[in-house]
Amino acid sequence: MKQRRGRILPREEGSPSLDLVIAIMGFLAALALGGVLISYHSAQSWQAGLTGRLTVQILPQGEVPPQNEVNSAMAILQSTPGVASAVVLSDSENVALVEPWLGRDAAIAALPFPRLIDVKLAPGAMPDVDALNRRLKAAAPHAVLDDHRRWIGRLRTASDAVVLTALAILALIAVATAATVAFATRAGLAAHRSVVELLHLMGAQDRFIARAFERHYFISALLAAAFGAMLAAAGFVAAGSLDRLGISGVSFLPPLGLSFADLPWLASVPIGAAIIAWATARVSVIVSLRELY
Amino acid sequence: MVRFENVGMRYGEGPEVLRDVNFALEPGSLTFLTGPSGAGKTTLLRLAFLAEKPSRGLISLFGRELARLKRTDLPPLRRRIGVVFQEFRLLDHLSAFDNVALPLRLSGRRAAAYESDVEELLSWVGLGEKLHSKPPTLSGGEQQRVAIARAVVAKPDLLLADEPTGNVDSDIGERLIRLFAELNRFGTTVMIATHDRNLIEATRARELRLIDGRLVEMRGAR
Repeated sequence: MKQRRGRILPREEGSPSLDLVIAIMGFLAALALGGVLISYHSAQSWQAGLTGRLTVQILPQGEVPPQNEVNSAMAILQSTPGVASAVVLSDSENVALVEPWLGRDAAIAALPFPRLIDVKLAPGAMPDVDALNRRLKAAAPHAVLDDHRRWIGRLRTASDAVVLTALAILALIAVATAATVAFATRAGLAAHRSVVELLHLMGAQDRFIARAFERHYFISALLAAAFGAMLAAAGFVAAGSLDRLGISGVSFLPPLGLSFADLPWLASVPIGAAIIAWATARVSVIVSLRELY
Repeated sequence: MVRFENVGMRYGEGPEVLRDVNFALEPGSLTFLTGPSGAGKTTLLRLAFLAEKPSRGLISLFGRELARLKRTDLPPLRRRIGVVFQEFRLLDHLSAFDNVALPLRLSGRRAAAYESDVEELLSWVGLGEKLHSKPPTLSGGEQQRVAIARAVVAKPDLLLADEPTGNVDSDIGERLIRLFAELNRFGTTVMIATHDRNLIEATRARELRLIDGRLVEMRGAR
């Protein structure tokens, strides 16, 4: 008759508190990873929107910007090699720009608002910004040329800071997960001490005994962290849906949702948690077994 | 096979349980270890199956001096020893079959290769109908037979048994002793710690007696 081999260690009755802690860790890790992805995508899209463009402001003299300076600046821009187009923004476009800060009904006509010229560069064109600035100043003293370099630099710094913070949080979560699993493994070893000692006396290698523990904690961590990561993924998908429907909390923040294409990245959370649990259980068991003769 | 030279053993700061123990077990020999309760029989066996390090003295096993071995050298030596523990030490979550098969599993044998051997051995010790029973559902005598089957299944080079017939009736006891004798005939060195005078007289083997932690040769092999 074919015999089915029993498990070397008794089936763990399950430790709901360990599973809960790992699920929470998985949730937090997925949030941190999602933060990295959102920050990365936002920085990319902002940078893509600003690269290849210049903005010229004609500052108001008194209440309104002088129209003759707008015309001079337009003439210079249109004659500059590498400039694909130069367009003066309309009042409605100006209102749209300040809407996130001042609201939809901002009365910008009553404000000393500059004229803005949106300049698109031809693909690959690298005009001499300093020379252009000098020519603009000569013809239109109230003109200010902005090539967005400072803004892009700050954006990159902010984005890098978000990514580094999220990575630090991920590292802390990894350490906390390892410490939790190490504690649980020690408790498991104590609970099964008689079985472990017997296997040791019968000549089981430390690796053989460790394998029985590793398998248990690998599967527990995989499932619990997957549950936590799925909760976080559901949150990101919900936030993404709100963004797409135009329901957003603060309009000048980047969209807080993740696209479906990003979700596979979150699968790395349970895989990482399972690997950490596996390695921690292995090291904990082998170190404990070394106390035996 | 086994050699103890001036071996002493104490637990922690307590008194010496074994004092200046000297003996050797020749390959293929059968030896009884006797003595009153508390004389140190179990401690001597624990030293021999590598559960403890002696406090002093030298122990050699299979021609190798244990003090010179690394920890990683010990598992292969342990797998050459079959042990019948006084308190059986069966794994309650495993069936009788899996308990007996454990040494074969630890030595890396495939289930298909040992299935019939294990079933045959369990039938031989009268447990053919209880292959799937777990230890808590077995009587004391049945558990003891599973423990003995586990100790002998891998045909160990050295068999150490601590009161192996303590919980079984005389018929089963005789049968188990025949099993030990059979193993011994095929080359296994056997040492049995027991109080059972009938058993000792029936086999007329060598007897070592422990009295207050000191070993006395009572009778050489006949």
